[in-house]
Amino acid sequence: MKDLILKLAGYVAPSGSESAVQEALLELVKDVADEVYTDALGNGIAKKSGNGPHVALAAHADEAGVMVIHIEDEGFLRVISVGDVKAQALVGRHVKFTNGVTGVVGVESKVKLEDISFDNLYVDIGAENGDVAKSKVYIGLSGVALEPVVDIDEHKLAGRALDNRVGCAIAIEAFRQAAAAGHNVSLVFTSQQTVGARGAKTAAFQLQPDLAIVVDAVPAGDMPQATRMDLKLGAGPAVKIMDGTAIVPLKVKDHLIETAKKEGIDIQYEVWPRGLSDAGSIQLSVDGIPVGGVSYPARYVGNTSTMVDLRDAEAAVRLIVEAIRSY
Amino acid sequence: MLLKKLTEAMGPSGFEDEIRNVIREEVTPYVDKHYTDVLGTLICEKGVNKNGPRVMLDAHMDEVGLMIVHVEENGLLRFRPLGGIDPRVLVSKPVQIGPQKRFGVIGAKPIHLQSPEERTKPLSLKQLYIDIGAKDKDDALSAVKLGDVAMFTTKYEEIGDHCAKAKSFDDRVGCAVLVETLKAQFDLPLYGAFTVQEEIGLRGAGPVAYRLQPDIAIALEGTVCFDVADAPGHGQSTIMGKGPALTVHDGQTIANRRFLEFMMSVAEKYSIPYQLRRVKGGSNDYGAIHKVREGIIGGGISVPVRYIHAPTQLISLDDYQNTIRLVSAILTELAKGGFTA
Amino acid sequence: MTRQNHKDTLIDLLESHGGPGFEQAVAEKCVTAFNEYTEDVQIDKLGNVIALVRGEGDGPRPKILLSAHMDEIALVVTKIDKGGFLRVWQAGGFDPRTLVGQEVVVHGKQPLLGIVGSKPPHLTSPEERSKAAPLEDLFIDVAMSEERVRELVNVGDRITLHRETMDLLNNRISGKALDDRTSIAVILECLRLLKPMRHVADVYAVATVQEEVGVRGATTAGYGVNPDIGIGIDVTFADMPGQDADVSFKIGKGPAIAFGPNIHPKVFQGLRDAAVEHHIPYQLELSQGPTGTDARAFQITREGIASGLVGIAIRYMHCSVETGSYDDIIDCGRLLAHYITTVDAKTVEGLTCY
Repeated sequence: MKDLILKLAGYVAPSGSESAVQEALLELVKDVADEVYTDALGNGIAKKSGNGPHVALAAHADEAGVMVIHIEDEGFLRVISVGDVKAQALVGRHVKFTNGVTGVVGVESKVKLEDISFDNLYVDIGAENGDVAKSKVYIGLSGVALEPVVDIDEHKLAGRALDNRVGCAIAIEAFRQAAAAGHNVSLVFTSQQTVGARGAKTAAFQLQPDLAIVVDAVPAGDMPQATRMDLKLGAGPAVKIMDGTAIVPLKVKDHLIETAKKEGIDIQYEVWPRGLSDAGSIQLSVDGIPVGGVSYPARYVGNTSTMVDLRDAEAAVRLIVEAIRSY
Repeated sequence: MLLKKLTEAMGPSGFEDEIRNVIREEVTPYVDKHYTDVLGTLICEKGVNKNGPRVMLDAHMDEVGLMIVHVEENGLLRFRPLGGIDPRVLVSKPVQIGPQKRFGVIGAKPIHLQSPEERTKPLSLKQLYIDIGAKDKDDALSAVKLGDVAMFTTKYEEIGDHCAKAKSFDDRVGCAVLVETLKAQFDLPLYGAFTVQEEIGLRGAGPVAYRLQPDIAIALEGTVCFDVADAPGHGQSTIMGKGPALTVHDGQTIANRRFLEFMMSVAEKYSIPYQLRRVKGGSNDYGAIHKVREGIIGGGISVPVRYIHAPTQLISLDDYQNTIRLVSAILTELAKGGFTA
Repeated sequence: MTRQNHKDTLIDLLESHGGPGFEQAVAEKCVTAFNEYTEDVQIDKLGNVIALVRGEGDGPRPKILLSAHMDEIALVVTKIDKGGFLRVWQAGGFDPRTLVGQEVVVHGKQPLLGIVGSKPPHLTSPEERSKAAPLEDLFIDVAMSEERVRELVNVGDRITLHRETMDLLNNRISGKALDDRTSIAVILECLRLLKPMRHVADVYAVATVQEEVGVRGATTAGYGVNPDIGIGIDVTFADMPGQDADVSFKIGKGPAIAFGPNIHPKVFQGLRDAAVEHHIPYQLELSQGPTGTDARAFQITREGIASGLVGIAIRYMHCSVETGSYDDIIDCGRLLAHYITTVDAKTVEGLTCY
């Protein structure tokens, strides 16, 4: 699992520019699927027909980032955020664009740290002038702030894009096992989640499953003076009860909790009132789609580097596979 | 003059009756069929049985406006905005109210009576009234009804170097582009949707896209342009006179790169100037359309409009003509199979 | 049995508990109440209760959906803190200042009465008193050991207000959840009055879920039923000192009929004409964009649905002492019943004629 996560986290996939990671993701499930494709909004979708109700797994493939919006005559780039990225957090960082070009984020002098906005930031790609810059990048090109994934200890990883490549890895493993066991499953690597769960909306309309399980990160609350979230790293996957986009129907929530109990999997409960996920877009599609969520706790969600515990991810796979089998 | 007719017609969000009638009259000779949906969107069909990708062009008819919500005892009218209006632009402007287009003025306390401190603060909506000359409340209510809507009175005129000023170029300029496009012939199934209620949350576009299920949808807009004194390069969004602006990323959409590049390549092939819309804020109907059903490929093409949402807006007529040319070239290329959805 | 009216049903509904996403107890009562008028009652995937009262004549009959949301604003346990005190967040918009000192019901393994804690004045500094505590800093005390609390309560359990409904002067009532269960009573009054009347339209009476967290139930109910006309029934603001005149309605002066972009002009006209013709007092509610009601969702469902909005005025919305008049409920029910009798195939045809 760790190798898979490391491989996936290597891709640069800001919202709306997911095509490279989607190709890699679908390659990892193609052999067990009946069909794989990407759709109009950039979702990567794999389907496997089988027995029982149709269960769809959804894990967003995208991450927040920046987009080039202006190229100055002097060769510096101006950027906007794609998804929720704070300007202050970018200062002094390396940015890597989807075409491989890398730069450093600078800030106009005279601007106080607390006043920094994207209007004051620029990316320096070493171009001598605007023409050189234009030969390397274009308006609309997206990138991300770099932060390598490192081993923290035997079980923990920290770094960029773990939210939600860990979820993609969980979904891949679960899909492969469920498909091999002959279940009726599909898998969506959703696009454009960080800008408002746009991909999930059109994917749900296409698939209209009997149950959708969203796999995503949830903020842990076990750090000093952290927001009150009753979630610990390494204490097991979290069953979603509600987030800012959806309240999980009791029947689905109970099924996941009962499954965990039967299998002896330690779980926690996710109540993330302001959390944004794909769940709402899916639940409110057509005349309603039953939705649930299995999340892995992660520290520093929304920052460049998040920390996860692989044991939570591994247990999440077991929980999802068993929940599909017994639904 | 089409732009004059369209910009001077009334049509605040949800109250598009007059503008819809004007457009209906303009397009009737050129389309096979037209009808309205339950929200009031005017849908036109042209050659829908032809082969090729089914294309929906969208332009919203509605404009920002005001609604009369209360009358004071002294006959002054209280109002609330329909759509995003900065209250700072309202002071000292005339408006026309209701189906009779009765004149009213939005005044302010004379400068003589203001304290120096008052003068530095923008007036809020609560401090603004419309005066229709009524003697008292009953007199006012004999002339206007609660719920009547009001619009700016700006006249369309050509000014400067091939520019024009008017109210509501957002999005009557898009409507004009769409009307002109419907007059031409293209070898593909074409739908024109003049939508309602864009300014209050892209309300009209989703249902019409759901209904028509096009293969490709393009929103035609008037968009933010601030290429004025002191604006830095990355704060302009678009530049007036540099051609139609293609959306890269806005509040509701991240451009489909493949379609964006297709549009850019068409512009280059036909030597039509174009630019990219370079700002994150704002949105257009494509933001609602692309999320409908399984997802719809397309994009946004806009005419840069200075002072958008203000009473007097400014466009370059070259941009307008080039937008018509670009839309036409894109449809021609689409009909030839230049893009597979 | 001919009923006088549904006031008892309403009081029973008000005192039931059902925050967004756990409306089951209220839903059951709605099923029973709707069953008085039809056997055809279903619950959809999100939990909306959908009752069908058929119109006269052979198909295709116009479909009118009446919706009232049955959820009430609620709290959710986010953490069990040291000592067994519960930390919470909200599902629906509370003013945290109204929560201090309230009695609540914690829906754990069994319902537990709890109190929203407050610091006694003796221990509070003058500065503290001038500040309102944010929701994050409130806690709920169920008067049990931490161990017992952990046995009975889980993170994610819901909490609702505990309040018995009171009779005030002039057939006014006060309590919790008048937003929006008074509108369920409006639907019941409408069905009661409609029973002896002749109508062509099929009426779908819907108690929707999860309105308070973003009109979610109406989104899927509208899609599923796909009516020609969708009328949201929701409470509006009664007058209070300091409130803007155009958002202040009178209690006891009849339902408010909404007008504005979110409302189909012909549905508004039809409702207003029905009021005028039958001498039903009404008030005009103006809106300038999508309303915060089920009508917001209906209007843009599928190819678009002609939407309307009516409701009674209540004071102190989202408090535990919401106050409204049963007379208004009956008038609102009458208004809807009379409007429904006017709807036929021609009405529906007219909805797309602009």
